[in-house]
Amino acid sequence: MIDPSVLRPEIALDDFLPIFVSSALVLVFGGFYVGIYTAVKVKLLKPWTMVFAYMFWLLTAYCLYLMGSLMHVGEFTAKALVVAAIGLFLLPYAVYYMQSQVHEENEH
Amino acid sequence: MANNYLNSESKQLATWYFTFAAILFGAQLLFGLVAAIQYVMPGFLYGILDFSIARILHINALVVWMVFAMFGAVYWLLPDETGIETIGIKVGKLLFWIFAAAIVVVVLVYLFIQVGPADETTIWFITEGREYIEAPRWADWGIVVVALGFVANLFLTGIKGRQTGIVTVLMADMIAFAGLYLAGMFFTDNISIDQYWWWWVIHLWVEATWEVYVGAIAAYGLITMIGAHRKVVEMWLWIEVAMLFGSGILGLGHHYFWIGTPEYWWEIGALFSALEPLPLVAMFIHVLYDWGKTQGAEEEKGSTVSVVNNKPAFTWFVLNAFGNFLGAGIWGFFHTLPQVNLYTHGTQFTSAHGHLAFFGAYATILIGMMYIAVQGTNGIKIMKHTKASIWGVSMIVSGVVGMTVALTIAGYVQVLVSRAQMGATWAGYFDGQSGLWFTQAMDWRLIMGAVTFIGFIFLAKDLLTTGKNPVHEK
Repeated sequence: MIDPSVLRPEIALDDFLPIFVSSALVLVFGGFYVGIYTAVKVKLLKPWTMVFAYMFWLLTAYCLYLMGSLMHVGEFTAKALVVAAIGLFLLPYAVYYMQSQVHEENEH
Repeated sequence: MANNYLNSESKQLATWYFTFAAILFGAQLLFGLVAAIQYVMPGFLYGILDFSIARILHINALVVWMVFAMFGAVYWLLPDETGIETIGIKVGKLLFWIFAAAIVVVVLVYLFIQVGPADETTIWFITEGREYIEAPRWADWGIVVVALGFVANLFLTGIKGRQTGIVTVLMADMIAFAGLYLAGMFFTDNISIDQYWWWWVIHLWVEATWEVYVGAIAAYGLITMIGAHRKVVEMWLWIEVAMLFGSGILGLGHHYFWIGTPEYWWEIGALFSALEPLPLVAMFIHVLYDWGKTQGAEEEKGSTVSVVNNKPAFTWFVLNAFGNFLGAGIWGFFHTLPQVNLYTHGTQFTSAHGHLAFFGAYATILIGMMYIAVQGTNGIKIMKHTKASIWGVSMIVSGVVGMTVALTIAGYVQVLVSRAQMGATWAGYFDGQSGLWFTQAMDWRLIMGAVTFIGFIFLAKDLLTTGKNPVHEK
């Protein structure tokens, strides 16, 4: 008989797998977002494929939300996850802008 | 690897470091295999080379071979970056032999002495007992002397020669890298305080200074292998330094959740751990951007030729971008928040993350640097893949990914059975360990470990022989 005081009921047993899968997908979808964004910008992909980049960012944000909900994160961690989602959205813009500015300055 | 194409003593010294690193890499895999067999057959080598010793050798050889290869890579790129021969190279060579001899003695002591009395003599002469940095104290001081000599070589050369962004970042990074080692050299009576400082070495190495080092080496590799624009690459490097240190230093908090430190580390650890994947995603963009831009510029000129002048090395560098993202990013992120880390802490999840992250983030790029050294040592203009290089990379990658998947399944069983269902009790631990999924996962870990080791044999053969292979353009 297990002492009830040592059991950890914070996360339901059935929720562990969705937590691990959704947290992995956060970065998988995030990777697709920045990958497609960059590939379109450097003309490796056609411009209309950019819509897929934004779709992947939406999926990333949803996975973050799902992961946080299933984990029952506190208010602070929830805000941290929102900051991470916004950071991920802005990241390729900021990096591409700076890279292209340096290219402009040095090659044209 | 050395021959008469080398025009620099620094590069010659680099080849020594790479050679010794490759030997230790083999030792790491060999003792990892022994430990993996012991998980499946606990009686294997019992009383001769127990699991505790095989594990010490496995994880310490990992750290040491990477440090050797890191030093080697710096000695390799210094003349190219600074435009001068490395200053104090004779001291550098002497320190190499001291370092190598110390490591050989430490390994022999681990193998043949193994344990000592529970007093200061063990700490001084056998092992300090802290994971990853278990070298006895005499060797600790030797390592400090060697590291100081290395940093002095780097600084003197960097100050006198051309000061590129890559060298400047390496100078700042390597002094932090060497200095942090000091935090793991003293003991306190309180285990929480002891672990608090120990994490400074481990975390601030692998999630801060080593990652910045990888950024600098990737920058050098992109310039060397595909002719990427230095200003773009170096500008990117500074962003990466800011992002990695900005998220990585306080990401340290995720190691402080359950070791007796104050609870405010939960919030700090959660926030910065959530941000830690961002630079890894950005590093992924970096490689894609530089490759796309450089190859695109060639294609605009009507050329269909690849801009890559060292295919095996570039393959390992691309694997680094993916591996860092997967191993450090994904496998790190899914057990880093305190709410779920409560269940995953100390399970095979950690081991899965450790295997893929060390391989993806560090082993890949250091092997890539070894190929760059082979190219330079043999005067090869365009280096191509050989059968051995393809077999090597395929088997090592498949093996490590296979081990990671197996360990993740084992960790999942531990989370559900040992932690969630049975509340991290003694009985829960054994129930988790004896479950079918766990034991089968350990079988698969052993099989994939063997695949990795065979891949290493192909890699070693290729590194030793590819320089003379007529397939390359000289």
